[in-house]
Amino acid sequence: MGLMGTVARKELRSLARDGRLRLLGAIVVVLTLAALGFGVQQAERAEHARSHAAEQAEAQWRGQGEKNPHVAAHYGTHVFAPASAATAIDPGVGPWLGRSVKIEAHRRNLAAHAEAADGGAGRFSVAAVLLELVPLLIIALGYGLWSRERERRTLAQLLSTGVDRRVVGRGKALALAAVVAGLLGPAGLIVVGTLWALGGGDGDTLTRLGLMGLGYGAYFAIFGGLTLYVSAVARSSRAALVALVGLWGLFTLVLPRVASEVAGAVQPLPSRAELERRVAADLERGIDGETDREATVDRWTREMMAEAGIADAGLLMDDDMFAVGFELRAEARWEDQIYDHHIKALDDRVAAQERVIAWLGLGSPYLAMRALSAGLAGTDVAHHRHFTDYTEGWRKALMEQLDVAFANEAGAEGWSYTAGPELWAKAPPFEYRAPGAGAALRGHLPALLALGLWLLAAVLLTGRGARRVGVR
Amino acid sequence: MILQAEGLVKHYGAHVALRGLDLAVGAGEVFCLLGANGAGKTTTIQIFLGFIEPTAGSARIKGVEVRDDPVAARRCLAYIPENVMLYPNLTGLENLEYFTTLAGVEDTSAERLEAVLARAGLPKDAVQRPVGTYSKGMRQKVGIAMAIARRAELLLLDEPTSGLDPKASNEFSQLISSLRDEGVAVLMATHDLFRSREVGTHIGIMKRGELVARLDADAVSHTDLEQIYLEHMHG
Repeated sequence: MGLMGTVARKELRSLARDGRLRLLGAIVVVLTLAALGFGVQQAERAEHARSHAAEQAEAQWRGQGEKNPHVAAHYGTHVFAPASAATAIDPGVGPWLGRSVKIEAHRRNLAAHAEAADGGAGRFSVAAVLLELVPLLIIALGYGLWSRERERRTLAQLLSTGVDRRVVGRGKALALAAVVAGLLGPAGLIVVGTLWALGGGDGDTLTRLGLMGLGYGAYFAIFGGLTLYVSAVARSSRAALVALVGLWGLFTLVLPRVASEVAGAVQPLPSRAELERRVAADLERGIDGETDREATVDRWTREMMAEAGIADAGLLMDDDMFAVGFELRAEARWEDQIYDHHIKALDDRVAAQERVIAWLGLGSPYLAMRALSAGLAGTDVAHHRHFTDYTEGWRKALMEQLDVAFANEAGAEGWSYTAGPELWAKAPPFEYRAPGAGAALRGHLPALLALGLWLLAAVLLTGRGARRVGVR
Repeated sequence: MILQAEGLVKHYGAHVALRGLDLAVGAGEVFCLLGANGAGKTTTIQIFLGFIEPTAGSARIKGVEVRDDPVAARRCLAYIPENVMLYPNLTGLENLEYFTTLAGVEDTSAERLEAVLARAGLPKDAVQRPVGTYSKGMRQKVGIAMAIARRAELLLLDEPTSGLDPKASNEFSQLISSLRDEGVAVLMATHDLFRSREVGTHIGIMKRGELVARLDADAVSHTDLEQIYLEHMHG
């Protein structure tokens, strides 16, 4: 460490005797732990509600008694996204997009039970503290590291020793890093321990937490580098503080809002009512607006019956009761293609918005880290889409199973045909698994690029600031 | 020569702070720069510290051109300004340890540094007190202690006794004299004619960026020095 360590030790000693560190450090640690407690409580409550509701839905499905399979399909069931332990750190878009989906015939439902819709979604989370408050702590502790030396005229004394100012700069950066690590390290261990206790001790969660730690480390280093640079080149400590708080506000308040507005303008999303209107219109006349629904469903029904080896389809179609199971399958095919088209278009729009925000994240390390944090916590839009896509696949498989059973077993009983618990028990298992950490990272390459570039810039600026700092 | 200036010129826009200054200070010599405010004394010292670059000319310390390698040039010097500025929440001993370690002093043990502080005249009970509680005179003594601990070959002093009470000023002068006797070269900017004659071996009078008089301290009485100084200031 040499002289760099000497500088760092002196800065740490000065900071330790400065009431600011104790006060600000205590505030950040308390807020981090409070946010963790809040997040754990929320996650536990959500997981408890999810498992309870999932058990209830499963019990209702299996215990629904004798019923026509298609009637059962109309009653439907609910599926729920499992809450990752990392949700306690970063709830991401979960509170806005919902974590449960109603499964029913003829209809692909969007996720529901979003806390935000109830006005209950809070922004108080460990991620919010790390993303928004820790940079302020870094600024508060570091804005005077160079400028105050100049104002107190200790810089001239310091440089007259013959020490290289770049070494002094590195020592100051090391001290700042050590303070942040010293404050957040123990809190980080508590976070990991708590998540482990919550059942997040699997390899993937640990990998995600490790990557999250690296990401936040880079994020803090970026703010540390910017803080040291501004402190070196600002005319006074006050000017440095004002400039840095302004930069913080630009990164965390202004640019995210601008990015959302730009993304919304470039890739506007339809309202839920508009989406439902378009789906309803297309269900009547097809995506091209010119297809006859009844004729198409009828044709598909005949084709399905022919595929099933029912040679005299025309004769059998006279028996409406027998044909209805095939007709339901054909109708489901018609509806599925409409829903798939619109939901894919919606998801693509959301993904395009995310891409716009991600590229705008090049201008704000906050935006980049926010996206990466949610991605690694498994609470971003990509994870949500992964869940809803799996859910839709499962819905189609369940509906197909019920309609096939109806088609194959109803015979002349037609709508009077009923199935029982044996059929309900054959429902395909809902075994959703979130994508791995690697997929989460691949989904946020622009954010990784932005953080990498900002980190490089911060390192270069730290050195440049040290070279440029003047004694007067 | 430890310190040498040749044709040193410094312009601040249209203002000329130094006009071709020539100066040399050898080991065991104390060169006192006298002059009114704005004469160019502090500019000269700042150039030797490498804090400002000359517009023209050469400033060398032990043969090293300061402009080319200020860090190397500073390694053999100690700087004591009008107000030695230290870290207020560190003790005198901690400040001394910090600055001497950065200066590359090998023995920074508490025993040695306490002895150095004692030689510089800092009261023993002040050594472990935060510097924020020190008087100006005590801070100047820590500055002297830095020079002693570093075994600096050159002292750059910028009005170091300004604002000190007579007793502290006298103690300071004695320390400079003893360092001079040990072979340390000193360049001191001052307004204090009495002290300059007391500790100086050579005296230069600066006016508008020029060295207008160069005297041997032993060759002039205090009265003569005052007379010469006033003549140049009013001339």
